[in-house]
Amino acid sequence: MNWNLYFTEVKRNRKNLITWTLIAVGFTALVVSIFPTMEDMGQDLAELMSKLPPEIAKAMGMDAETWTNILGFYSTYYGIYIILLVGIFCMSTGATIVSKEERDRTSEFLLTRPLSRKQIFNEKMLAMLSLTFIIFTIQTIVATTLVFIFGSNVNWSAFATMHIHGLILILFFTCLGVLISFFFQPKKNFMGMVVGIIFGSYFLNAVSRTAESIEWLGYFSPFHYLDFDPLNPEYSANWIGMAVMVVISAGFLFAAFRLFEKKDIAG
Amino acid sequence: MNAIETHHLTKLYGEHVGMKNVSLEIKEGEVFGFVGPNGAGKSTMIRTLLGLLHPTSGTGTLFGVDITKGENVRARIGYLPSEVNYYEEMSSMELLEYHMRFYGQSDRTKIEALADYFELDLHKKITDLSFGNKKKCAILQTLLHDPDLLILDEPTSGLDPLMQNRFFEHLEERNKQGTTIFFSSHILSEVQRMCNRAAVIKAGEIIAIEDIGELMAKQVKRVRLKYAQKTDFEKIDGMNDIHWHGNKLGFNYVGNIHPLLNWLQSQDLQDVTLEEPDLETIFMNYYER
Repeated sequence: MNWNLYFTEVKRNRKNLITWTLIAVGFTALVVSIFPTMEDMGQDLAELMSKLPPEIAKAMGMDAETWTNILGFYSTYYGIYIILLVGIFCMSTGATIVSKEERDRTSEFLLTRPLSRKQIFNEKMLAMLSLTFIIFTIQTIVATTLVFIFGSNVNWSAFATMHIHGLILILFFTCLGVLISFFFQPKKNFMGMVVGIIFGSYFLNAVSRTAESIEWLGYFSPFHYLDFDPLNPEYSANWIGMAVMVVISAGFLFAAFRLFEKKDIAG
Repeated sequence: MNAIETHHLTKLYGEHVGMKNVSLEIKEGEVFGFVGPNGAGKSTMIRTLLGLLHPTSGTGTLFGVDITKGENVRARIGYLPSEVNYYEEMSSMELLEYHMRFYGQSDRTKIEALADYFELDLHKKITDLSFGNKKKCAILQTLLHDPDLLILDEPTSGLDPLMQNRFFEHLEERNKQGTTIFFSSHILSEVQRMCNRAAVIKAGEIIAIEDIGELMAKQVKRVRLKYAQKTDFEKIDGMNDIHWHGNKLGFNYVGNIHPLLNWLQSQDLQDVTLEEPDLETIFMNYYER
């Protein structure tokens, strides 16, 4: 392995990494730091919640405890907004890390260096996964610190499970991003598509919880298999679900590699 | 060993022929021209040799290594593309250092020396470089790792005449040291200056592989003459495609230049233009005769 491409890719994405890490960390800090205020209003909010149709509350992953337990409060935001923020960066990095060479017409430069396509793909994927782990780790460290400061009697096991589920979901979307980029014209960014896919997957799962007749819809959403419900006493890591997600993600990358390997680089 | 060898190399884009049955043998140390009009298949050939395009059929080798498994042999190749597209956020120095690291090299003084020779400002961002300076940057990345084979695709586009000359002198020096050069161009005068042999490609197929000396003897001139008025004249050998436009006469001339010059002196002319026609015209003239 030459590592030249790997380090250059990480360097080229560092500005985006810093920007999105600050956004994800800032949002995490905002959510956790307003929890004490919400906790004070917990009783009023719980009453308000009781007036919501139970299907809606269930779809949104909320119940009375959401407002009185820091994990319940944090998980509501983590399950969609933080996953979305981190996912936007990771999935759009995945969608552009190979395709931007074609978009900027630099493929010709890169593919005429003494590297096989396999080496190029591997180094780019390694750079992408490194960026994913960096933003995920920083967000997790900041969240852990703030929950420790603002919370009490925190179920750290549920907290860890939630974050591990989050990591696997983010990896899933990142790898999906790599694959879908081979089916579209290379773009400056895939932001609209990325937001649509992540939000769409979330709401598909949310909607599926509102009625038994449409529960099957949830099977098409990755959120169905890796949920964020730390207040549920039976909440635990879904190892089978995670293994399946990892295998599917690896399948996305393998399919993307095969397409990359066979691709003709036009002038 | 041949530096480049292809046997019936073919690239089809669906129904469209990129190149068909291209068979070439280019010896180490040779300067080989690859000429043809735009769209004839020159770039398709180069991109297939470099592994950017997958051949539909046929085989090819670079220094004996199969082009479809050519990643290691590419360390011995310098490729100058016709159109230069680099990472715009990088400076020339950053790009060239990035390039050098792929070859396990990191000698800044070597970059600076070559940049001085070609008068390239290494500190400007790629995005701020003019077309000509981007080309100079491309020339540097072609030469810096001291390749054994240079594949040059329309190498002088964007370079001013002074820089073209400097580049040719540098290439001649490299060739003396043993570097093989594959020189793709549609400008015949460049091929004449640089190459020992040349292949002519038309509509994706090689129509001739010629010694440059012999090719020169077949060269066509496009002649345009202006008379005071349309007049009768005596044709000489080598004139063809003759036509009048008012008082202006145009024709193609194939053969030795001296009979033409003698004939021109005998004419009562107001103006004379002698042009090198595009290659397509030259070869259409020659091969259709």
